[in-house]
Amino acid sequence: MSLKANMKILVIDDMATMRKIIKNMLTQIGFKNITEADDGSTAWPMIQDALKSPEPYEFIVSDWNMPQMSGLDLLKNVRDTEELKKLPFLMITAEAEQGNVVIAVKAGVSNFIVKPFSAAVLKEKIEKIFN
Amino acid sequence: MSKEKNFIEFSKPFIDAAKNVFETMVFTKLSPQKPMIKKDNVSKGDVSAVLGLSGEMTKDGTAIPYRAMLVISWPYETYFKVSSAMLMDTFTEFNDEIADVGGEICNMIMGNAKRELNGMGYSSNMAIPSMIEGAAHNIKYPNGTVVILIPITSAHGDMYIEICYTEGD
Repeated sequence: MSLKANMKILVIDDMATMRKIIKNMLTQIGFKNITEADDGSTAWPMIQDALKSPEPYEFIVSDWNMPQMSGLDLLKNVRDTEELKKLPFLMITAEAEQGNVVIAVKAGVSNFIVKPFSAAVLKEKIEKIFN
Repeated sequence: MSKEKNFIEFSKPFIDAAKNVFETMVFTKLSPQKPMIKKDNVSKGDVSAVLGLSGEMTKDGTAIPYRAMLVISWPYETYFKVSSAMLMDTFTEFNDEIADVGGEICNMIMGNAKRELNGMGYSSNMAIPSMIEGAAHNIKYPNGTVVILIPITSAHGDMYIEICYTEGD
């Protein structure tokens, strides 16, 4: 899979500030087709609905800690769905505990990024996922 | 090790984490000034992010429970400049768009500090940050804690980091 500017991306974070920061960074990197969700529980139906449409999501960027459905539970839902087993999924977290990384890798995360991070680091992680 | 020494050791990761977060996400360097003991509940800033923390400190095989709180307070002008830099926009008044900027900063600082604290023997459970806004607002510190106030200067203006800590149940 290669990087394209109009790749359909879903950014999920319960903090509006973080969604805006990530969206700004993705725009800086060159992406143009970015949608937001404020929790895993609102993102999951969006991902499912998009799967039935001609334009499913092609990349998920999700926070780990969210009040209703965590990024980890969202990732598990995604990976339990046959058509989404290979959907690129980048997890963002405020805590860099080794245990969390292992859990996320076991659940099928594509890559992992720890806050704080710059647009350059985000770009690097995305390139690793898609190249 | 004395409670005072533990407090000093406990505070350092928060300052290191704050420097890292501000350099990476707010594009500014922080210059911490001389810490002092805070003797009242009145915030030095107009906008405060408050995050509670509890857990156990294990030293020489003995686990001691502790409670702590991280507070970051900004005068309005500093908060607007920090929010503008972080969100790549211009803000000149407090509104919904920037209401959780402080909480997110506090969250990132605590997340970063937690990693270092774990290495020092502190297990920690983070609460969700809350925001308080308004001139001279009060902050409710956990009972029995000593509060250290660290004034910070930066290119965006002054701000204040407060850390309180106590050991025991």
